Amino acid sequence: MRTRLPRRTFLKGVGTVIALPVLEAMMPASASAAAKKPPLRMLFMSVPNGVHMQAWRPGEEGPLGELPATLEPLTGVKDYMNVLTGLTQHHARPNGDGPGDHARSAAAFLTGCQPRKTNGADIKVGISVDQFAAQNNPARTRFPSLELGLERGAQAGNCDSGYSCAYSSSISWASETTPVAKEVDPRLVFDRLFGNGDSAEETEARIKRERYRKSILDFVMEDAKRLQAQLGVKDQQKLDEYLTGVREIEKRIELASKANIQGVAGGATRPSGIPSDYAEHAKLMQDMLFLAFRGDLTRISTFMWANEGSNRPYRQIGISDGHHDLSHHQGDAAKHEKLKQINRFHIQNLAYFAEKLKNTPEGEGTMLDNCMIVYGSGISDGNRHNHDDLPVLLLGRGGGTIQTGRHLVYPQNTPMNNLFLSMLDRMNIECQSLGDSQGRLEKLT
Amino acid sequence: MRSSSAVILFSILVAPALAIYAADSAPMAAKGGKGGHQNRAAGASFENSVLPLMTRYCGGCHGEKTQVAGISFHTFKDEASVVKGRRTWEKVAEAVKTGHMPPKNAVPLPAKDRALLTGWIETKLASAGCDLRDSGRVTLRRLNRAEYNNTIRDLVGIDFRPADDFPSDDVGYGFDNIGDVLTISPLLMEKYLNAAEQITERAIAANSYNAPAERVHAKDLADAAGGQFHENTFRILGQTGDSLRRAFTFSKDGEYVLRVRAFGQQFGDEPPKMAVRLDGGDRFNPMSTEVALLEVKATEDSPHVYEARAKVTAGRRRFSVTYTNNFKDLENPDPAKRGDRNLLVEWIEVIGPVADEAKPIPESHKRLFVVQPEEGKEREAARLIVERFATRAFRRPVRAEELDRILKIWEMSQTDGESFERGIQLAVQAVLVSPHFLFRVELDDPKAAAAPGASAAGQPINDWELASRLSYFLWASMPDEELMQLAAAGRLAQPEVLEAQAKRMLRDPKSRAVVENFADQWLNLRLLKNVNPDPKRYPAFNDALRQAMVNETQLFFESIMREDRPVTDLLDARYTFLNERLATHYGIEWVKGDHFRKVVLPDERRGGILTHASVLTLTSNPTRTSPVKRGKWVLEQVLGTPPPPAPPDVPALAEDTAEMMVKGTLKQRMEQHRRDPACATCHLSMDAMGFALENFDPIGAWREKDGEEPIDASGALKTGEKVDGIGGLKKILRKQKGEFVRNFSEQLLTYALGRGLEHYDDCVVNDITQRTARQRYSFSSFVTEIVKSDPFRKRRGEGEVQ
Repeated sequence: MRTRLPRRTFLKGVGTVIALPVLEAMMPASASAAAKKPPLRMLFMSVPNGVHMQAWRPGEEGPLGELPATLEPLTGVKDYMNVLTGLTQHHARPNGDGPGDHARSAAAFLTGCQPRKTNGADIKVGISVDQFAAQNNPARTRFPSLELGLERGAQAGNCDSGYSCAYSSSISWASETTPVAKEVDPRLVFDRLFGNGDSAEETEARIKRERYRKSILDFVMEDAKRLQAQLGVKDQQKLDEYLTGVREIEKRIELASKANIQGVAGGATRPSGIPSDYAEHAKLMQDMLFLAFRGDLTRISTFMWANEGSNRPYRQIGISDGHHDLSHHQGDAAKHEKLKQINRFHIQNLAYFAEKLKNTPEGEGTMLDNCMIVYGSGISDGNRHNHDDLPVLLLGRGGGTIQTGRHLVYPQNTPMNNLFLSMLDRMNIECQSLGDSQGRLEKLT
Repeated sequence: MRSSSAVILFSILVAPALAIYAADSAPMAAKGGKGGHQNRAAGASFENSVLPLMTRYCGGCHGEKTQVAGISFHTFKDEASVVKGRRTWEKVAEAVKTGHMPPKNAVPLPAKDRALLTGWIETKLASAGCDLRDSGRVTLRRLNRAEYNNTIRDLVGIDFRPADDFPSDDVGYGFDNIGDVLTISPLLMEKYLNAAEQITERAIAANSYNAPAERVHAKDLADAAGGQFHENTFRILGQTGDSLRRAFTFSKDGEYVLRVRAFGQQFGDEPPKMAVRLDGGDRFNPMSTEVALLEVKATEDSPHVYEARAKVTAGRRRFSVTYTNNFKDLENPDPAKRGDRNLLVEWIEVIGPVADEAKPIPESHKRLFVVQPEEGKEREAARLIVERFATRAFRRPVRAEELDRILKIWEMSQTDGESFERGIQLAVQAVLVSPHFLFRVELDDPKAAAAPGASAAGQPINDWELASRLSYFLWASMPDEELMQLAAAGRLAQPEVLEAQAKRMLRDPKSRAVVENFADQWLNLRLLKNVNPDPKRYPAFNDALRQAMVNETQLFFESIMREDRPVTDLLDARYTFLNERLATHYGIEWVKGDHFRKVVLPDERRGGILTHASVLTLTSNPTRTSPVKRGKWVLEQVLGTPPPPAPPDVPALAEDTAEMMVKGTLKQRMEQHRRDPACATCHLSMDAMGFALENFDPIGAWREKDGEEPIDASGALKTGEKVDGIGGLKKILRKQKGEFVRNFSEQLLTYALGRGLEHYDDCVVNDITQRTARQRYSFSSFVTEIVKSDPFRKRRGEGEVQ
């Protein structure tokens, strides 16, 4: 049996430090094998309620000069990013479904599909780009993808005009009917990545434990298959989700035993829970993501800065009105100002992460060279609820395949999903079309 | 769900769009007009008479392109679709009959057409009656977080809420127990596996040692025996004095466990005995000391790990196992009495040093181990323990074939030399990750389809499934022993048993789950967690007050449930529950101390959920009250008549800023807002109800002024009825008792079934409201009517027509 401190004891502690030197030999096989060519990662980040575009959009197309007020905190990584103007998520529009732009924009953000308007039964949209990538990635990492966020899903009530809350709190969809739950507690992310601080577990004991895990999974797999034969169509769908989960863990156990490591935290501290301060929370979650990328535990991730339609006030920066309330600004200058501050605040926190990647050497460049980070919103102006002219950033050089430091302007109504196809190409993931894509996005190289 | 929603749903009209559309569709209307008008309602067909009328007079706003208020008629193609959409059409009939629709600024609908339309709808909906009912089909439901925690508590006997670390459950139809919306992601699957490990490690004392172990297999042992093997793994010790030995290094002083996996070929009147010995450690002290003399009762089909404990000083010592009581009789005249007793050993092991004191055995362990394993009969014991556990976990008898497969995991651990208890831990883990535990499985039973009571519309679910429906409805947890016994006896489905059980379950403290899950979600109390009133303006608000607010509403709801009062008391009661913190907030001085108690209220300002600070706070903005949100809450949560969402480009009301305040009071500004006809129709009643609550500030404290302005809590509903203040609002709501009760039935039924309600549930809801009326709307009457209803007891078979 594995030695283990009671979980609650851990919780009481401020944080446990796992001090393990990061040795090349301890890196996962996949990382060391590819030592010459560092792994390429993709990350998709969403912010709710649109942004104040006037303070976001750089002037002309071309090389990025002085950044607009909202983007200014990213000046340090300007040479590593592009601002993309003109992208659209057409299926975030009503297209006959009436109100509910917030729910729709989150659901369409990475899928490019029209979510079915339902409060519960038959939720349906489409597979999202990150999940498509996770399921088809030829390079296997311990975690095919990580879904993170800073707000839990809604706990009650209607989320948006007859759309199930599943839509506004998920941008990752494993299939057209299965939203992927996100992790919001950095402590739990840490535990998932590195085990809960139990690095001293004997190899032999661990191998034994994983053997038992495997036989338990074999047992439940058998259970599920037998059960499935007796179920109706809709029920089968639910059981499919279950089976996918089981297979996923089986694969992971296999990979872990090959790599023969528990995960390398590299001296990182185990967070003690969700910090009450938003900025601190964002920082910790991005730290976890950084560790996962650096250790090549995953190459694909999504990150929701808040659920779509979030009405969180940002007191840290002196804003006590709710974000959503403010986004219906009616052209009021005072509200514009507050929105700008919120937008900038998010960008500041993003800059922390981008800088961290930029300051970590990897291969012949930095980690940021080997990332593709999409940051944006499925809504452009929160007052108009329009879904064209979306605010989108693309950070990272895609392993040297993306020319950066530019403001790229695309024709109106260019599907956002074209960008996703271009990213999938770079990950060596074959995809002819996704959602409403019409081809690849030009001008990136 | 009737009149007021009709008003709201059909009130937003934009005249120009209508004019254009009416011109477009004129030819169609003419065509339909030929025969339809003479035949009047009875003989009129939907396609020829009704649809053309609707297209002509309503289609401009409620067509495919412009779906004002989210309503459009282009999806209704025939009578059948109207019956399915009966909720919409009931509202249509109501709106047209009362003259709310078409609105005044639209092309007027001639009186005879008006009569035709309403007549047709009413006839159709009435004749599409309740005789052939569809019980609906609930999608396979996994346990949600609360249910998982409670089930583990009742199943294992430890309450440590493992599901608190699970990702949030998605919400549909206002609740987080809706099968369609509850999904399983790989992340959640991983959490299930981890939780199962943690639960078993806590609940079962595994007799495992967290210490270094060294194990040596028989074939690698020095021996004084003949070296014969059984099955290639067990060394046969056939003669008295035969022994196996090996030197081990004991790294430090302490207590060690010496373990031997062995079995006996039993013969004669006693089992084989083995002496476990340790020598003194060096040549000055060569004598072996006998640590234990053990009887080996285990047989070949179930070898056992024998253990002895010894205090050992550090050093290198020899550990030996010696057979001490050989017996054989190979020449007995009776061949059946011939035989040979032998000891067979697979391996020996040293573990240690181990902690001196054994950990206390948890209560949960004792509960789970219904039998103690007798040596040599471990398999039977394991079978019994697992059978009992799995039956409770699966909430139905476990099948022999399932049990065999679970026990394989136990066997595997035994072959590995794990303790009996460790094997049970693993088997229990497997049960806790099985879909039969995580999902509430309901299966179509071909036999039930043919049984009495079955119809095309649904077949009775079996008694086990019914027990789970009951327990998860009223306890958010697994069925208890009594329910299981009734299910086993096949008696649970009898209506009088069902009713008695529901009442018993309500009396049980576990029905608190109805408060925490149903009431919290219905009244949106869970949203209070995310509410952040501006601390500068409302410094009184803190987490203690937030918690006190939740407590008040929960205790109040619970008192109505426990004392079986009419649910209409929720809207208006002369008492509430307060502690000092909340009482002070309400301006009541005589309540002292932290504990909550029932308090009789001095006046009408408080009493009923509308006056609870919880509700008033969660419907406010951070910096001011929101009469719109409050009004919407009343329409939606209390009356069940949600207003349609505002169109996207309608501006929300500005926040208070110094500059804004100059432009007038909130009320004046909102009146300005309502001058826009697109807003007015929906906002009239909503705002009037919200303004009636204006005497309560954004954190629910009483106030006479907002800023410098005195509060004006008066207004008029769309019907022209005047409302003034909380007293006036309560009076209005008392009049609309029917809507409230209907809404309460719908909400509770949705929660009980774990699915959204469909058109065919309307008849059931009608029955429930009628029958509960006869029982003065007592809380328990809703529960008993629901559990006896068809959708609760039955289920439409797969593939049967809707």
